[in-house]
Amino acid sequence: MTIKIIISVGIGILAGIFQRNDLIIENLNSLIDLGLCLLLFFVGIDIGKNKGILGELKKMGGKICILPVSIVAGTLVGGMVASLFIDLTLVETSAVSAGLGWYSLSAIELSKHSAELGSIAFLANVCREIMAIIFIPFIGKHIGHHETIAAAGATSMDTLLPIITKSTNSSVAVVSFFTGVVLSSLVPILVPMIMSFQ
Amino acid sequence: MQIFLYLIIMLIGAFIGSKNFIPEKFENKLSTLQNMCLLFLLGIMGYKIGINNDILTNFHRIGFKAFLIASLCIAFSILFVKLSYTVGGGHKNDN
Repeated sequence: MTIKIIISVGIGILAGIFQRNDLIIENLNSLIDLGLCLLLFFVGIDIGKNKGILGELKKMGGKICILPVSIVAGTLVGGMVASLFIDLTLVETSAVSAGLGWYSLSAIELSKHSAELGSIAFLANVCREIMAIIFIPFIGKHIGHHETIAAAGATSMDTLLPIITKSTNSSVAVVSFFTGVVLSSLVPILVPMIMSFQ
Repeated sequence: MQIFLYLIIMLIGAFIGSKNFIPEKFENKLSTLQNMCLLFLLGIMGYKIGINNDILTNFHRIGFKAFLIASLCIAFSILFVKLSYTVGGGHKNDN
């Protein structure tokens, strides 16, 4: 699956560079919405077929909240550690990491402070998404199912949900969606809050 | 708003799946259909990156910083999740 994923993204990038088509560019977001809705519908059918999911969620109870909290804490610590190796302040790297993979929002928010920081936020969160796409099948097989959600961050509820589902199972898909919603709700709060310490 | 749309679509799918409204023929093709949608979406994501001149022109200058931040964020979030489920006695992974 990983090879197919890399080939698809690679073909897309090359097509974007060498075959720019105004009609496609204008309708990119609609195409994404269409593909995503179809995919989520199929994931939904998979979830519905698996009768044990609700019981699984009930069994987890309050522990389901451990996941988003751990992901936010881990991501922020990762951002802080990064500041030791590059010429950005602790606050800046933390704010970039607080995008949690949601590149459009974090980049827009941070570009208010500096264009370069906005670009770094955009690229860092795009990188997170691409790396997650590549490594989720490996993480799901060798590290753990919930760790696939950790790699994805906020995108675990949409773009990376299908990959997580394919690399784990439909009960993890439900947890993934829940975690993604929580993380996505936190991004607009976390990024400006961290930048206020600057 | 988008979140609610996704949720509703998933719920409709879950309802249809739970009531066995789907013909068996279609059910067997579910995984293939998911794969096709996924690869299509990834291609579109790649296309978005390819047409974005900001990413391409700035990549050599800020690419390393972005890559380092992204790598450490992924590594530490995986580590924290692993630790919290191991030390905190959370739900066991089922792999």
